[in-house]
Amino acid sequence: MNSKKDFLTSYGALTAIFLLAIIFLGQLNYDAWNAFAAPTIPTSLNNYIEPQPLSGNTAKIAALGENEFLANIYWLELIQYYGGGDPSGKYRKLPDLYNTITDLSPKFLTAYQNGLLVLPGEGFVDQAIALGKKGEENLPNSWEIPYYLGLDYHIYKKDYVAAAEEFTKASKLPGAPANTAYFAALYYSQTDQRKISYDLFLNIAQTSTDPYLKDRAQKYADHLAITFSLQDAITAFQNKYHRNPNSLQDLVDKKIINNIPVSPLGFPFNYDSKSGQISEGK
Amino acid sequence: MIKKYFKTIGVIALNTFRETIRDRILYSLIGFAALVIAAGLLAGSVSLGQDLRVIESFGLTAMLIFLLIITLFVGTQVVWREVERKTIYLTLTKPVTRDQFYLGKYFGICLTTATSALIMGAMFLLEIYFKAHIFSVPALFSIIWMIFEVWLLTALGLMLSTFTAPLSSAIYTFCLALIGHASTSIWQIAQKSPAALKYILDVIYYLFPNLEKFNLRNEVVYAINPPFSQVWTTVVYFIGYTALLLVLGLMAFRSDEF
Repeated sequence: MNSKKDFLTSYGALTAIFLLAIIFLGQLNYDAWNAFAAPTIPTSLNNYIEPQPLSGNTAKIAALGENEFLANIYWLELIQYYGGGDPSGKYRKLPDLYNTITDLSPKFLTAYQNGLLVLPGEGFVDQAIALGKKGEENLPNSWEIPYYLGLDYHIYKKDYVAAAEEFTKASKLPGAPANTAYFAALYYSQTDQRKISYDLFLNIAQTSTDPYLKDRAQKYADHLAITFSLQDAITAFQNKYHRNPNSLQDLVDKKIINNIPVSPLGFPFNYDSKSGQISEGK
Repeated sequence: MIKKYFKTIGVIALNTFRETIRDRILYSLIGFAALVIAAGLLAGSVSLGQDLRVIESFGLTAMLIFLLIITLFVGTQVVWREVERKTIYLTLTKPVTRDQFYLGKYFGICLTTATSALIMGAMFLLEIYFKAHIFSVPALFSIIWMIFEVWLLTALGLMLSTFTAPLSSAIYTFCLALIGHASTSIWQIAQKSPAALKYILDVIYYLFPNLEKFNLRNEVVYAINPPFSQVWTTVVYFIGYTALLLVLGLMAFRSDEF
């Protein structure tokens, strides 16, 4: 007993220093191995682990009532996933993540808005539209969802009728920006739905409090009214001469109209002599 | 006579409260809960502008988890410890009935869980105020409902601890808490199940405590207050179910031999 005590008294400090040195060397060796040794696990597996979200129904059961909490966990995961970058550039799990989040939290407006902006850009146009439709069901009073959905229809589907319908829907909801109905009218004017477009522009011109929108909408309505009158003149020409006019000047020459009107918007009126139809140029 | 009866219960409750509140593990649990609630601020900062909803949902869920741990830890041990250490004899030799002892223990634990919830709740509400400069009434409601939930679970744990070991009692209470929170899913599954399974699931749904009644945490995120009809039915449900568990617990405790 005494000899042990003596040893510690005499060499205790020295022993402690020796042990510390061993610990320090061990740490140095570990750091060197960490920094310079060849990886034992293929780094391709380490680089990236794709999220595996539960389906909406399973997630709801697993949440045990803490739906918003789990939705927020997935929301943070989605931000990390999209923000972190997918080496293969596919973001395959994005639609699943948005779906699970909005199944768990059906009134999470930002998730819908974000999905409608992000998904189509990554090639998930149909999934974005499905997400938007789900959002319209769950948040029927939110103008943002039909607004963003309309943009998706326009940009990625080139479906102007659907875009116009979504913008019309958005324009009737509380808080929608004043230009929403204006956009709807513009989209309709791009299709064969010019009458709807004319009515919308006229309504904006009569009701808008924004002087710029009011003026612009009135000019669009006037422009469309001229288009309608030109189309009527072409019909009159066809009834009289049983053929299409060769040009708009033909209408003036045959005294159907006095002159070719000028659009208040400064757009030329394009005429197709084969179909006998007027289209607005820009 | 009645006044004296309740005074004895009050004295035991106060002593139980003092005994449990001095427990260092309780302090560490509350401290850790405070850290987790505060961590919501960090999670919120990487949520693309969704700070408040993240802080609210993380904070309230953390509070529930820690309150459940405290309930399981305290609620299932208090009576058992008295019996095991034989200190119950000292109390029962005085003019104290078993009913008074049992009820005193129950209310003492309730006082402890309520104090823990109020400490955590105050920190949580301050955090929301700090972040959004609002006083969240739905969050306050949610915390009160959470206290009701743990009081009900305390009655359950206490009843189970009269005839099982504390660990078993804690496990059973925890399982029943899980079932209670899965009640909405159980009901939904029951609707789509064949007749025999539906019957079993319906029995589980109606028999076990429906703890989803006390869950206002999802509504807090959208600042929705509970409708009045739901408030009073939940309070009635809580009183009825807790009273039933206390009566069953008392019956078991009266017949205990120690």
